[in-house]
Amino acid sequence: MNSDKPVAARVRLLVQVEEAARVVAPLWPLSTFIAVNPLWDLRHMPFDDALAYADNVLRVRGYPSPALFAKAYASGRITAADLWAALDGNSYDGRSTYDDSGGDPGPVAPRAQTAAERHDCLVGTRIAATVDREVAKWCGAYLAGILPDDAARGFYAAWREVVVYDPAVRSLLGRVGRKHVAELGEDPEDAMLTCLELLGVAEEERVRELARHLARMPGWAGHAKWRSRWAVPDRPGPALHLVDYLAVRLCYETALVRAAVSGCGPKWRGPRWDPSSRGSEGANRCLEDVGTRPARFAAVGMADEVGTRLSRLAASETARVWLSAYEGHYRDWLLATLARPAVAPPARPAAQAVFCIDVRSEGLRRHLEGNGPYETFGFAGFFALPIRYRSFGSAETVDLCPVLIRPSSELTERPVAESIGAAGRQLAGRQAFAAAQNAFSSAKKGALSPFVLAEAGGFLAGPIAFAKTLAPTRYQTVRRWIHRTVAPPATMAVDADPAAGAMSDEEQALFAETALTTMGLTHRFAPVVLLCGHGSTTENNPYASSLDCGACGGNRGGASARAAAAILNRRTTRHLLGERGISIPDETLFVAGEHDTATDTVTVLDTHLVPSSHLDRVVALQSALNRAGTGLAAERAPSLPGTGSKGRLTRPSGRAADWAQVRPEWGLARNAAFIVAPRTVTAGTDLACRCFLHSYDADVDPDGVALETILTAPMVVAHWINAQYYFSTVDPDVLSAGDKTAHNIVAGIGVVQGAGGDLRVGLPLQSLFDGESEYHEPMRLLTVVQAPRRLLEIVIARNPVLRELFDGQWVHLATREDDRDCWKIRRPDGTWTRWTPSEARSEEMTARG
Amino acid sequence: MDEILGLTQMTRVEVVVNGEDMPAATELFSKVGARGFTAVSNVSGLGHSGHHQGRLLFNERSALTLLTVVLPAERAGALLGGLRDLLANRSGVMLVSDTWVSRPEYFR
Repeated sequence: MNSDKPVAARVRLLVQVEEAARVVAPLWPLSTFIAVNPLWDLRHMPFDDALAYADNVLRVRGYPSPALFAKAYASGRITAADLWAALDGNSYDGRSTYDDSGGDPGPVAPRAQTAAERHDCLVGTRIAATVDREVAKWCGAYLAGILPDDAARGFYAAWREVVVYDPAVRSLLGRVGRKHVAELGEDPEDAMLTCLELLGVAEEERVRELARHLARMPGWAGHAKWRSRWAVPDRPGPALHLVDYLAVRLCYETALVRAAVSGCGPKWRGPRWDPSSRGSEGANRCLEDVGTRPARFAAVGMADEVGTRLSRLAASETARVWLSAYEGHYRDWLLATLARPAVAPPARPAAQAVFCIDVRSEGLRRHLEGNGPYETFGFAGFFALPIRYRSFGSAETVDLCPVLIRPSSELTERPVAESIGAAGRQLAGRQAFAAAQNAFSSAKKGALSPFVLAEAGGFLAGPIAFAKTLAPTRYQTVRRWIHRTVAPPATMAVDADPAAGAMSDEEQALFAETALTTMGLTHRFAPVVLLCGHGSTTENNPYASSLDCGACGGNRGGASARAAAAILNRRTTRHLLGERGISIPDETLFVAGEHDTATDTVTVLDTHLVPSSHLDRVVALQSALNRAGTGLAAERAPSLPGTGSKGRLTRPSGRAADWAQVRPEWGLARNAAFIVAPRTVTAGTDLACRCFLHSYDADVDPDGVALETILTAPMVVAHWINAQYYFSTVDPDVLSAGDKTAHNIVAGIGVVQGAGGDLRVGLPLQSLFDGESEYHEPMRLLTVVQAPRRLLEIVIARNPVLRELFDGQWVHLATREDDRDCWKIRRPDGTWTRWTPSEARSEEMTARG
Repeated sequence: MDEILGLTQMTRVEVVVNGEDMPAATELFSKVGARGFTAVSNVSGLGHSGHHQGRLLFNERSALTLLTVVLPAERAGALLGGLRDLLANRSGVMLVSDTWVSRPEYFR
C-alpha cells in the first residue's frame, strides 16, 4: 500500500500503539471466555502504582468501596486488630502507611484526555461520546459481517469505503464533511499520523493520548488487542486490529473537532455535559474527577485510637490499609487452618481421583474423600496435554489448553470399530439438525423471509416458550430425547495412536511424566485413577464458557481427561514412563470423568473402555461420586439466591435447565487462595470452595522444575481469574459485564448493554453480587506453597513474571518448608517475615505503646 | 553496498524479547520491509533485570525468544528506532552488527 509518511514515523507509531495498549486487557470471544487481569500489562508497576495509572487513564476504581469496608468492619470481617496490623509500619507489604502529617494527599497527576474530551470540557460539546457511538456502531457492523470485508485490507479500509454513504456522518458533518472524514488517509497508519498532527498531539504525548482513546471503550479496544496480539494470525473472519480501530476513532475525532472549531459542526442539543456524571456512554468515564480516587474514611463504631490513626492517613493510603486488613483477616484464618496436623491419605485407596485446580473442585474432593477410601489430587484441568481437539464429525477444532501456550498437536475423537454404523447414523442426524438450524438462521436474516417464518412456524414459538419457562427440566428431557432419536449416540474414543496423527510416543510419555511428577503421583498407584475435567451446563447464557475450565481455554474439560486417560493407558507410554522411573502397575486403569459444576453431577466417561476386571471398582467409584455430588449440591444450595423457595430454584438441575436463570451457579466467586502442597495439608478441612488446590510433593521435585511449572502457569491463570473477579467487583461500572438481563450479543464475540455502545468486559454482575451486596470478596490472590524456601527463591529469581507478581504485590505469597515449619510471608523486597496473626501483632503493638 | 568474496553486506539485528512481545517486534520487521526473520524460542540468560529461565513448560508468553532479522542498512535505521522505543519499558536485548549474505535478493 502506498504511504506518504516516512517509514520511521510509522514504526514509531506502532510502538506507541503497543505501549498505549497496556492499559486495556485482551477480550476473548464469548465462546472461549478467558478471565484475565484487566491490568495485566501494567504488572511491571507495583499494584498501587498500576491502580493510580489505571485511574488516570481508564478511570477505574482500583480498591473496594468504603461501603464494603464499613460493612466488613461492622460484621467483624475486618477487626481493629486487622487494621492495627495493616497500619503497622512493619506490615507485610513493607511500606509504612502511618502518616502523622495530617494526610496531605500530595500532587495528583492530571487525568489523561483525548483532544475531543479537552474540547468537550472547554466548550460543552459532546464530541467524545459521539466518536464512541459511531465507532462502536461500525465495529459491530464489521464483525457481524455487514461491511464488505477483504481480510487483507481490514477494518479501516472497509469503514472508509462505506462511511461516505452513512447518513449519521452527514447529519454530523454535512455532505462535504463526511468526505473529509474518509480523506484523512488511505492507510490506517498514515491516517493516524495525519490526525495526530492536525489535533496538535506532540510526539511525547502520543502514548497517553492513544491510551486514553483505547480506554474510552475498553471492550472494543480489548477485542482489537486480542485479535492483534493473542489470536492466531490466520484466524478466519473479520479482523479488527488495534491500528485500524484507532485510525477510525481518530478520523472521527479529527473531523468533528475541526468542524466544531471552525463553527460548521453540528448544533449540540440537549443538556450541557455534566461533569459529575460518569461519562457519555454509560460506563465511559471521560470527565475530570468522577470519584474513582480513594477517599479517606473511618467506619462507624470504630475504636477511637485506630479511627484516629486512620483519619490521619493520606487519603490515597486509606484504601490500601483497609484492603490490607481485609486480606490479612482471611490470610490469618487460612494459615491458622492449614497449620493443623496433616491428615494422612488412605493406606490403600480404592481409587485415586485427579481434579482440576478450580476452586469448585475443592468441595467435591472433600465430599468424595468423606465417602470412602479415596485419595484425590489437584492439577490443571488440561492434564498437561496442550492439544487441539476435534470431536467426531466436527469441522472445527477447539484448543484445550491455557491461553498462555499454543496446542502442540491435534487429537481426534473417532467411533470405535463396532460403532461405525451407529456413528454414521449419528452424523446424518447431526447434519440434519445443522441444516435445519442454518435454514432457520438464514430465514431470520432475510428481508422478507422473517415474515414467512413467523407465519409458518410462529405458532410453535409460544408453546415452546411456555414449556421452557414453566417446565424447563422436562423441556430439556424432551429436547434430549429428540436429539437422541434423530442423532443416536455412538461409542467413541479419543485416538492417541501416533500412526493416526496423534503426537509421538516420546511426546506422549513426556507429557505423562510432566503431569504425574508435577502433581506428585509417581508411585503408590491405585487400581483405578480417575482424571476428572469439568464444565458447566447452563441455558441461554452468553457467559456459559466463563463457568467452564480456564485451563482448557474456556472449554469443557471432559475431552482433555479422555485424551490423558487414553495416553496413560497405552502400553508404550507406560513402558517409556518406566524408563523414566515411573512404574505404573498393569492393574492400574486410568478413566476419564467430567464434573458438571452447575448440577454437581460427575459422569465417568468412556465406560465402554473399562475392562470387566475393573468394572466393579468403576461402578463403586461412580456411586461415591454421586454421593459426593449430592452432598456438595446440598452444601452450596443455601448460598444461591432463591433457594429457600420451592421448586426448581432449589434443585441445581432445575437452575441449570432454566433459560431465565441468571445465576445457575456462583462459578469461582469468593476465590481467594492458591495452595501448592500435598493434599495432606488441606485434607479434612472445609475451605468453602475458595481455594485453588494444586497437588505438589517437593520430595519428587529436587530441582524445582515442577514448582516452576506450577507457579509460572497454573498460578498465573489463577491470578488472572482472581484479578478478574477482584476488578469486576470493585468497579462494576467499567470492569464488569453488567446486568445479564440487558445483554445483547454482538457478532458472537461479546455483549453490549442495551442497544449498543462498548462491548462489556469482565464478568456479569450476577456472578459477583447477590442483589446489592457483593458476594465475591475482592482480595488479591494469596499463594501458599509448601516447599523448601531455597527452591522457591531460585524459581522466583529466574522468572521475571513471578518477581513482578510477588514484588509488586499483585499476589501475596506465604510458604513453609514442611508441616513442622511455621509460615513465612514474602515482602516486596524479597525478604521473608514470620507470619503472626493480626490479633497477636495488635497486642504486641499495644504493649509497645 | 559493499561486496566481499561475492557476498553482500547487510545489517543484522538480533533482539531478545518476551514471548508476549514477539508479535509487536515482528510487526516492526514487517513494517520496514524485512522479508523474513529467524526465531529461537526458550532462550535463557542473565541480564539487567536478573535471571531469565529458558523453557517454561506451559507459559510461552513469559519465555524469552531470540529474533534475528537481516536487512539492507538503509532500512535498518527505522527498525532500530522502533525497537529501541519498544524496549524502553520492557526487558530485552538488542544487538546490531554487520553481516554478509550470499543471496541479497532474499533480503531486499
